[in-house]
Amino acid sequence: MGNQTCQAERYIGHMNDDPGTAKSPKKARKAPLGIRRRHVLIGAGAAAGGLAITRVLGLHHFGDLPTISLPGQTPAPTIDWISPLDKPEAQVAQLLRRATFGATPAEYQQSVKDGFKTTVDRLIETPVAEPPALAGADDASQQKSINPQNLISWWLDWMLRTPTPFAERMTLFWHGHFTSDFRKVTLQTPFIYWQNQTWRHNALGNLHDFLYQVTIDPGMLRYLDLGTSTGRAPNENYSRELMELFTMGVGSFTEDDVRNGAKALSGWREPVTQAMYDALVLRAQQQGRQPPKNLTPDTVKTGVFVQQRAYVGPVKFLGVTKQWDTKAVLEQILAQPATAPFIVTKVLREFVTDQPADAYVKRLADGFRKSNYDLKTLMRDVFTSPEFLAPTTYRALVKSPTELMVNMAKSIEQPGLARAIGQAGQGQGQTLFDPPEVGGWPSNASWISSNNVLERVNFAQATLTGIAKLPAFNNAHLTQLDGVVSPATAQLLNSSPDDATRWLILLASPEFQLK
Amino acid sequence: MKELGGVNGLSRRDFLQNGLVFGVGAQALASGYAAIPDVFARAVLAAKSAAVQNDKVLVMIQLGGGNDGLQTVVPMSSSQYHDFRPQLSAVAAKAQPISKDLGLHENLKGMKALYDAGKVAIVQGVGYPNPSFSHFDSIRVWETADPARKAQDGWLGAAIAKNYDSAGHPLVGCACGTTNIPGMLRDLQATLTVIDNVNTFGFQGGQNVENVMGTLYRNTPGIYGALFDSSMTTVRDTVAQLRTSSAKYTPKGSYSDKVNLVYSSKNQLAAALQLAAELIVTGTGVKVLHVTLGGFDTHYTELNRHDALMSYLDAAVTAFHDDLSAYDMADRVMIATWSEFGRRPKENASGGTDHGTASPVFLIGDGIKGGLYGETPNLAKLDQLGNLSYAVDFRSVYQEILASHLGVDAKEILGQTYDRVPFVKSTAG
Repeated sequence: MGNQTCQAERYIGHMNDDPGTAKSPKKARKAPLGIRRRHVLIGAGAAAGGLAITRVLGLHHFGDLPTISLPGQTPAPTIDWISPLDKPEAQVAQLLRRATFGATPAEYQQSVKDGFKTTVDRLIETPVAEPPALAGADDASQQKSINPQNLISWWLDWMLRTPTPFAERMTLFWHGHFTSDFRKVTLQTPFIYWQNQTWRHNALGNLHDFLYQVTIDPGMLRYLDLGTSTGRAPNENYSRELMELFTMGVGSFTEDDVRNGAKALSGWREPVTQAMYDALVLRAQQQGRQPPKNLTPDTVKTGVFVQQRAYVGPVKFLGVTKQWDTKAVLEQILAQPATAPFIVTKVLREFVTDQPADAYVKRLADGFRKSNYDLKTLMRDVFTSPEFLAPTTYRALVKSPTELMVNMAKSIEQPGLARAIGQAGQGQGQTLFDPPEVGGWPSNASWISSNNVLERVNFAQATLTGIAKLPAFNNAHLTQLDGVVSPATAQLLNSSPDDATRWLILLASPEFQLK
Repeated sequence: MKELGGVNGLSRRDFLQNGLVFGVGAQALASGYAAIPDVFARAVLAAKSAAVQNDKVLVMIQLGGGNDGLQTVVPMSSSQYHDFRPQLSAVAAKAQPISKDLGLHENLKGMKALYDAGKVAIVQGVGYPNPSFSHFDSIRVWETADPARKAQDGWLGAAIAKNYDSAGHPLVGCACGTTNIPGMLRDLQATLTVIDNVNTFGFQGGQNVENVMGTLYRNTPGIYGALFDSSMTTVRDTVAQLRTSSAKYTPKGSYSDKVNLVYSSKNQLAAALQLAAELIVTGTGVKVLHVTLGGFDTHYTELNRHDALMSYLDAAVTAFHDDLSAYDMADRVMIATWSEFGRRPKENASGGTDHGTASPVFLIGDGIKGGLYGETPNLAKLDQLGNLSYAVDFRSVYQEILASHLGVDAKEILGQTYDRVPFVKSTAG
């Protein structure tokens, strides 16, 4: 027992030892969890005896644990995590959890050695590495569509292997912001695949250019119907979401702005690739029809502007009446006072805190505008702001399913899990390229439901069960959880008979769900 | 240890001692009532006052994206309708008449039969003042019952928190066929279950892993700690509940999700309603269910897409009603549809319609006094944005659901009392 006590104190690390809360190491040790040395030894013996890892993960040695828990709504005493963010290694770990998808032990060690500032520089300034092409995707057509699981795995695989994970993290952020989905866009075009590349190219560029590329992106033209909107009968879908969800936020524009914006933005159509054109011709021949006239393949990977489709004449948009074109519309939006704070708020809720203070938003928004909407400047300001490492931001964000699962794979050094992660996403509420709605993904507390907690835990269990050789645990709670764990997590880690069980506790723990 | 106040002043310990709690401990007790589950359900319903101890259940179906009311309840003979919608008005000729001027969409065949049997109420022109044309804003208005957009909690979450002891009964409120808690059910004081796929809702690794997770998610610190812990507790209680209920249930309606819809595979409406039926007929104590059918944001090629949505909705609702009827429970269950807004009367260049305002709400069940309520939208008198004016405040619909169907204090939830839309046959008590 003496030995166990010692371990408990080691695992607990930064624990709140408020005497009133049964949180102190001393009290935690006495908590009636039913874990006895005898059981630990039985479990360890079974593992040593060569039992299949599945049985070891079956945790039969924990049989004494209570099988029923009291229903949960009793308001627990509000105890916060003790922030370790005064320590350089914890600062780096938080940066890697938020700006990337967490780190392998080697990546962690290197970043700790480099220090926080150098790591920020490296993340932001290293030129973006492009993923290898997805075979056949550029030639997607009605004859041959992209397999959605292949597309999803393709991206996840790059998240797992890329040398520039910050760029992938930002691409994921923008994917949830400038949203499209493959159901409406379909995979009988390369559009969604192209969109992923366009977002990556622009993820750390300039918002002026990015917004223009978003607007004329073929997938976006289809997803929000700008590709079928004409001056004669404009479709309001893109005009509205451009202002409401992409740039300014609800309440900062009028219905007339939506309608006139739709007119001002009209004139675009989707491009037709050679493969799409060939498929159309082939289908027409098979059906005994003439191939479509007035149609030739395009070579661009953007929308095509057709003057005859555009609205001609002055309209009043965000206070100015004139003849507009698409770039002028976007510049007018970027000139609005609502735009920078709106984008900054979204960024801060993703990378720093769910409820950023007004003054914080304003300060970063001012800098963002002053930089003429340079995204590298913005992200550097975010990561180097004192707020980023303030104690209140410690574990203040919830990992999305993608972040969680990629982080799991990195922590156990399994870069080959892309397909498994892709398949598990749907049950946790996140299928890449298929957000639930035009508003993108939920965030933070919205990820926590009974369904999702179960699916997250199940993914950890299934993944660990399926791996032939797990890396040694090697105090992963220090590198992955900053050594800050709840009494329950500490006790279970202490009592675990083997590394497989320790990994399960760590990856399934509430601590690991947070960033 | 701190005890929560329970039903009629009973403490949680009383519940535990008497076995009146769902979870593993109640398993044996529950299984003895397989044939007549509602006796059991009533006994453990955990209503916080005698007045709400009834066997009524509410199933909300969200038509996500903004359902086009004019294509659902079609003003067949309106010349303005044909003028506004040269393409979309093709549905008028095939609509199923329910009055001189109105017809149900041709694909709502099962719902038309239920309407003819007096089991469907259609409240026309439901909306709210100063309507928002934003999906998210208007969804939030409907979810919180607050057009001022100040409230955070969902109106059904609040109804659960104020009237039922959901902590001991995680299935009092349940969202089926989704992964996250719908806004309507959200309330910090309510425990809610979310079940995406009932077939995979269990712990990989079995009971031992489950036990460990129960221990791991306990007294978790931090701002999300209580949410994590209560979610895990809910999972475990729900797993235990499902273990007993799924064995007792055989579907008696023809549920099918094999439909050709753009958004079908993430909107398994039939599967979600089948799970809802299972939870209802096996006596889990479920009171409020929420399911979603998405894809109604028909900005383009609406004709085919809306036709398909209508047929999918009709098939799933009909199977659900058949199922409940076969179990003799259709008089207890009210289905209510909701959608954040209707659509613009004038069609656009993409063969679709843009965001609009008022639209009809459907209420279905054997306890419904069928017929038309509200006012038929006046296409001759559009507002200055070219939209319909609303005739019935959506909170009047909520008022009737809360007060007359669920038998709870509607004013406590809605802040004031709204005019009745009397679509409930005999009020709960």
